[in-house]
Amino acid sequence: MLLIGPLGFLTPWILAALAALPVLWLILRAMPPSPKLVRFPGTRLLLGLRDPHPVARHTPWWLLLLRVLAIAALILGFAGPVWKPAPDQVGQGPLLIVMDAGWAAAPDWPQRQARALRALDRAAAAGQPAALLVADGRAEGVLPFLPATELAAQLRALRPAAWETRYPPDPQAVLAEAPAGLSVLWLSDGLDHPGRAEWLAALSGRGNVTVVPPEGPRQALELVPGDQPALRMRSTGTAVAEVLAIGLDPQGTPRELARLKPGEGSADAGVTSWPVPIDLPSELRNRITRFEIEGHASAGAVMLADDSLRRRKVALVGDDRASEGQRLLSPLHYLRRALAPSTDLIEGGLGDVLQASPDVVVLADQFGLADEPALREWVEGGGLLIRFAGPRMAASERLAEEPLLPVRLRAGGRDIGGALAWGEPRGISAFAPDGPFAGLLVPDDTTVRAQLLAEPAPDLADRSIARLSDGTPLVTRAALGQGQLVLFHTTANAEWSNLAISGLFVEMLDRLVRSARVGAGAPEADRAEQPFWLPELVLDGFGRTTEPQDTAPVAAADFARGPAPGAPAGLYRGGERVAALNAGGPIATADWPGAHIERGAQAPGFDLRGWLIALAAALLALDALGSAWLARGRQRAMA
Amino acid sequence: MRPSADQLRARAEAASAALPALMLSAERLAAALVPGAHGQRRAGMGEDFWQYRPATTGDTARSIDWRRSARSDAQFVRDREAQVAQSAAIWVSAAAGMDYTGGTDRPGKRDRADLLALALAMALLAGGERVALAGQPPRPGRLQAERMAQALVARPALDRDEDAPPAEALRPGQRVILFDDFLGDPQPVLDYLSRAAGLGVQGVLMQVLDPDEDGFPWRGAVLFRSASGALRHDTRDAAGLRTAYLARLAERREVLSRAAATAGWHFGMHDTGAPPSQALLWLWSVLEG
Repeated sequence: MLLIGPLGFLTPWILAALAALPVLWLILRAMPPSPKLVRFPGTRLLLGLRDPHPVARHTPWWLLLLRVLAIAALILGFAGPVWKPAPDQVGQGPLLIVMDAGWAAAPDWPQRQARALRALDRAAAAGQPAALLVADGRAEGVLPFLPATELAAQLRALRPAAWETRYPPDPQAVLAEAPAGLSVLWLSDGLDHPGRAEWLAALSGRGNVTVVPPEGPRQALELVPGDQPALRMRSTGTAVAEVLAIGLDPQGTPRELARLKPGEGSADAGVTSWPVPIDLPSELRNRITRFEIEGHASAGAVMLADDSLRRRKVALVGDDRASEGQRLLSPLHYLRRALAPSTDLIEGGLGDVLQASPDVVVLADQFGLADEPALREWVEGGGLLIRFAGPRMAASERLAEEPLLPVRLRAGGRDIGGALAWGEPRGISAFAPDGPFAGLLVPDDTTVRAQLLAEPAPDLADRSIARLSDGTPLVTRAALGQGQLVLFHTTANAEWSNLAISGLFVEMLDRLVRSARVGAGAPEADRAEQPFWLPELVLDGFGRTTEPQDTAPVAAADFARGPAPGAPAGLYRGGERVAALNAGGPIATADWPGAHIERGAQAPGFDLRGWLIALAAALLALDALGSAWLARGRQRAMA
Repeated sequence: MRPSADQLRARAEAASAALPALMLSAERLAAALVPGAHGQRRAGMGEDFWQYRPATTGDTARSIDWRRSARSDAQFVRDREAQVAQSAAIWVSAAAGMDYTGGTDRPGKRDRADLLALALAMALLAGGERVALAGQPPRPGRLQAERMAQALVARPALDRDEDAPPAEALRPGQRVILFDDFLGDPQPVLDYLSRAAGLGVQGVLMQVLDPDEDGFPWRGAVLFRSASGALRHDTRDAAGLRTAYLARLAERREVLSRAAATAGWHFGMHDTGAPPSQALLWLWSVLEG
């Protein structure tokens, strides 16, 4: 690059063409002007006359100046002028490029690659060795320093990963072969990651560090668990973007189903976060497969929806004829209170609710209703039927013939803690670690005074998913077709047990309801019971869904730690459950003490090429106008 | 843009309004066997009938007017008007160059020539003469002015540089007025003049020129092209050609006026930059004298 004052030229040899301008001036000047055309009836009188003194008319000087200026502007423009080109920030020593390659680097990835390639070109021109440290957590061993030209292909093939940027844990070991006097170009994604401060310190000790911060803010999206699932959007900027809910439309093609508006944002240490409530009808919400921040191509801005997001439709069927004073005695009251926050409730007669195609049907102390063939059909088609025992079932003499029960029941029931019984009310034993209630804590004061007893059977133990302290079943479960039958051997009100007024009741119902249809529980709690997860669909760093290349199962312990090398963000299947592993999470901005920060605006300088060529075009247009003006007289003479 | 017949007529009327009733000089009339339209001025004279004269030897019996003869003893012969009628023919060149005008402030040569021709015709008609465009039968009366105006306007410009007056339309005893720029080949005009002189026809050559043709104001590199494009002359220094051009123009005029004088004609010049009445007065004086 040739520097003249604040002006630099990328291809200065083209400027040699400027020497031709004076010659051009002479040529243009000596060119004979086109004669004026005159229509003249007396031409016959002129025939044969000779010019006494032929005079060459010159092109007007201003037209000549316009043309020469236009050509000069073209020559200057093609010489690649740059106003105040950035001085070479990266020093002259061996080059080390640190490339943050997590999802946060995805949005401006091509610019990053271009910047790194520029540095490599410069190193190659200077004959310096170079090394490329890709911070995606897959780099291992000592970083080799190679001729800069050999790294370009690797750099071009590089893609951002669908997990957070990860630096190798031990800088000193990785930099063992690094020569002294390094010049480091750190293409940062703008976020803080574990180990960054150590790396910065280690690199600063070996050379000068130039940091290229990202252009534009980084954004991340994550799910806030709870009864009402919501999203949280975080950004290092302050501009609010909308969140797109994408799913299959009724025709089965993926499209944008809804746009979610973020609420009030709150800023903290440079990171603004907005809650994004998912305020959608449950039919629509159940179709959503992913949420993404509009206009931000990054795996961190995509939240894949799994079963935890779906809101189940629960039908309550029971005897709700209790008067106002007896409301607290109605089993439906307790069920309603337990389920209403997390599900959509439907109440009514059995025939009515089945037409609403619920995910779960709860029958509270109903007897004989189960004869309906529609109900059996619904269960076999994948429905979850939860039944509660009660006085009416206990009083029935044909209890043993009652269909749609997971176990055969012994008629009469059992009264353990009543006034006429010998025993004390029984507590609930701890849940099996492989059952649906695994991990739930049993309060000590929860007791059961009465229950329905199951007939002994070989598979009774398998079907019991909750037991009393004496080993008798409290909750039994059996599969029927694709669906499930679940029986609580006690009531849904406080008549036989105080289970219904404990927090455990809510949690147990929640687990059961979430397992409906697809049988997926809450992934956080159930990971321990599922040893491996298989990727079904993974995201690349840009947030696009792809088929998994490497279908190696992911151990549950690794799965719980979030996306990592070998376990990219995506949808994972474990048994019947499908869980999403999402990359977005809390973010923090990075700071760079002691490093030189390269601003994007000053990096390439101000390119004047386009302006000069535009100027040349404008001058040529003026020239055309001037020539037309000169020819005006001729036109008039022709008219 | 050429004016329409109505516009042309209105302008011509305005131009000729100042002239007194124009009469052709009687010089030729004396020699004519029969008077022309001039006889109308005297009471009791019909157009076809001239006089009764006593029959002389050589008159056939058929030629005797018996009704007149019965009133007296002698035989009378009824004389008729001669067929060679006294009339004026006007010709305007339609050559392509006649459409030329050097500036927007003055009319084209053809327009000016049309105007002069029609004004002259109207003045002649008002004096009772019979007038027509060359090659058409002359008629008297105001309506003839209308016909002539329409014929003048309707005549399209030729795509040639030269237009010659129709020599075969010459009749003895006619007065002929030619309007042209006379910048083309002069030979047809000279031939016409000699033929007219042979037939005893007198008339006027009126050269209508644009001031540009008279003054040659160009300078620098100019490509001159005749109106039809057939002739062209390229020059680098038009200003240097001015003297030579003007000399040639003067020479052309000299040739024409000498030829006209030999044939008993008059040669006049008119500049389209000047008002038309000037030329009209000159024409009037020439025709009357």
